Amino acid sequence: MFGDLKGLDPTRAQGLEWFQQLLDEMFPGSGAADIRSVPHGSFPLINVGRTDDAVRVYVFAPGLGTSDLEVSIQDSVLTVSGRRQAPDDEATQTRFRQERFHGDFSRAVALPEGLDIDRAEARFHHGVCEIVLPKSEELKPRRIEVQAS
Amino acid sequence: MNEITRRETTTPETADRERRSETLLPAVDIHEGDNAVEIVADMPGVTPDTLCIEVDNGVLSLEGEVSLAMPEGLSPLYAEVRAQRYARRFTLSREIDSEAISARIDNGVVHLTLPRKDSHRRRRIEVQAA
Repeated sequence: MFGDLKGLDPTRAQGLEWFQQLLDEMFPGSGAADIRSVPHGSFPLINVGRTDDAVRVYVFAPGLGTSDLEVSIQDSVLTVSGRRQAPDDEATQTRFRQERFHGDFSRAVALPEGLDIDRAEARFHHGVCEIVLPKSEELKPRRIEVQAS
Repeated sequence: MNEITRRETTTPETADRERRSETLLPAVDIHEGDNAVEIVADMPGVTPDTLCIEVDNGVLSLEGEVSLAMPEGLSPLYAEVRAQRYARRFTLSREIDSEAISARIDNGVVHLTLPRKDSHRRRRIEVQAA
């Protein structure tokens, strides 16, 4: 699973996310340190993984249904956009915290070339949308026979 | 060539411990109504089976494990969610009836209802005509 992903980011101190989130709350808008990093609080969060025969995109979109999320692909760029409704306010006197995102969103990720878009599938499981993009034949790993000379 | 070979130095035990310490802080909304406090938390990927809510000594702990069916041999290309567990704790006020807390999870969104004790509910006081 994605447990070994922390290896991707050598500068990140372990177990200090809460401190990072605190800092981000106190000093919002501090610039992105890494070319691949996203501002904290981006919605939805996206993970991309690869197997031998497909690329899988996981969009963490809690509370959204199939009709709320629009997924499109153009020129190897995957765009997810949609809208998350604001919580309904009836019977609410006081609001202590409002951290969850609501409103319109749109995010794009670049995908590797050579995916077979026509066979792409997307499915929702417990607030996570899994998009499976099969690789086209020429991209799949192939065994090369070693000939004895 | 040595650098290219994969190093398998971490034992399963340390890997397990590391995974335990890696937690995400779920975003929450907290609202108060007339008779209850409402907590709504975003925990995408958590199923009813992997969600764990406990009240101990006036502290409500909300924990959940991301359980996604991922195929074998999935190697990450890019990741923003880098842990598999959510955890967050809340200190409950004495007004809350901890026996009557109810919760449901719906598409990765947890809704917690924390009713007030009867003695702390808002009540209307009749005004008598003199």
